[in-house]
Amino acid sequence: MQQKTTDELITQEMLLKIPYRWAAGEHIGEFLRELRRSGKIYANKCPKCGRFRCPPAPVCSRCHTKMEEREKWVHVGPKGTLLSFFVAEQSFLVPTTGDMLEVPFSVGVIWLDGAPVALWHQLEETNPDKIKVGMRVEAVFKPKEQRQANIFDILHFKAI
Amino acid sequence: MPQRVAIVGIGQTRHTSRRPDVNDGELINEAVSAALADAQLTMKDIEAVIIGNMEFFEGHHLNDAMLIDYTGARGKAGLKMNTGGTVGTMEVISGCYHVASGLFDTCLVIGWEKHDEASTTSCITTITDPAVDRPYAVGALSGLAIISMNYMTRTGCKVEHAAMVRAQASENASRNPNAHVRDRLSVEDVLKGRMVLYPLNLYFLCPTSVGACALVLASETKAKKISRKPVWIRDHITVHSDYSGALFTFPGETRETSHMVAGRKIFQRNHITKPIREIQVFELYDPCAFLQMSWLEDFGICDQGEAWKLVEKGVTAREGEFPVCPSGGVLCTNAIGDSGTLRVAEAALQIRGDAGEHQVTRDVKAALASGYGGSYWTDLLLLSKTPD
Repeated sequence: MQQKTTDELITQEMLLKIPYRWAAGEHIGEFLRELRRSGKIYANKCPKCGRFRCPPAPVCSRCHTKMEEREKWVHVGPKGTLLSFFVAEQSFLVPTTGDMLEVPFSVGVIWLDGAPVALWHQLEETNPDKIKVGMRVEAVFKPKEQRQANIFDILHFKAI
Repeated sequence: MPQRVAIVGIGQTRHTSRRPDVNDGELINEAVSAALADAQLTMKDIEAVIIGNMEFFEGHHLNDAMLIDYTGARGKAGLKMNTGGTVGTMEVISGCYHVASGLFDTCLVIGWEKHDEASTTSCITTITDPAVDRPYAVGALSGLAIISMNYMTRTGCKVEHAAMVRAQASENASRNPNAHVRDRLSVEDVLKGRMVLYPLNLYFLCPTSVGACALVLASETKAKKISRKPVWIRDHITVHSDYSGALFTFPGETRETSHMVAGRKIFQRNHITKPIREIQVFELYDPCAFLQMSWLEDFGICDQGEAWKLVEKGVTAREGEFPVCPSGGVLCTNAIGDSGTLRVAEAALQIRGDAGEHQVTRDVKAALASGYGGSYWTDLLLLSKTPD
């Protein structure tokens, strides 16, 4: 019988570890500053079609019209209605931290009171049987001295 | 007037979860060689090369330079695509523009991905808004789960219907030797799957695959000269969405997604009034079982809230009146940069009658292929057996 030699398959192990810094810009930046400053969530409106955006946007993607400026931004939430949700039960590597996702991890799409806008954020409740589309939720903010002008200034949304 | 464009060569690798035996270039070359052989052409006949994948999945950026030995692109024209789930369909559309413009008579299109080289979900998480959404995204899975939950709420579709879609996809994939996940699953098997992201268990989600697909496109004059069975790219459309894809409709708004616009426009301008009767196959980009149903509705194949009923009646099965993804679809094979190219390839094989064991039972005169991705845009292509 002919002797068959199997060459070992060679793979190169690598880890890309690259720090990034993303400029939030004028509109998202002000949205985040307001989370820290006032503990309020803001949206803005297109003067032409009346569509709202949260976080506020500079231009309406549909009308190509300038959205309403800072002085006309409207306060939305902190209460809202759950439009959809998921609960992660399997963990994945979180690329922005390099850590594994702590599961169960639940996220909701929340229609905030005051304007037709939806925000994705973490839900306090992680049992899918206790989360219902249509349920009322409310944003829980960190104490003011701990807020850092990032989205984590809202801890999560809790059922009300 | 633009030149008509035909697909004259189709090649794909087998799809699997790991290919440590080849590097990316060697993988691509398998598909390129197969497509050239199918077209009975050599690299000398090819005037432009379009290639694409999503570079973050392999962590190897601007890889087209290093891949030149395997693509044959040296000294030729062409472009590189990097548009998420639409990479593969964007490439075909780009190839079409190259040929339709009259500047090129032949164009090679290559879509590929090697998902065994990194964490797919972690990479996809980086497509979201870094400041506001990213902490709440779990790759593509989170969007798929949110849409699925919304689809059930809006239409009354049940988890069992998604299980029927997946069971049907598995039946189709079991007949396709190039598909990745080929186990035959019953509805009960699917429902017992391990929960990944509630409401989605493992079987409701596409796998991460390794594979490549290549197509040779040719102008009408060239195609008629060299090909016995050219498949014509009758029309194609790309439609962009708002960021997040206009998932939800608030009071006073009309629900309008990029799929809806794409379907409406392509059917209108091709005088197709009843797509479900006038088109015989749809290779729909279906990364999740619920989305196959939701997107059939959005493309205008049936009314809103009707797709799960079609699934129940077996209309979308391989032997049904309107087969959807007879190849097994993205649900069973998903090498992202190749998934879109593969949709077009599989739709073209159905028109040629060359799909083998997974050939649909009816004669296919017209077929659709779609792509969708994290860049929130839709690609839709209409293929036909005859040029007009």
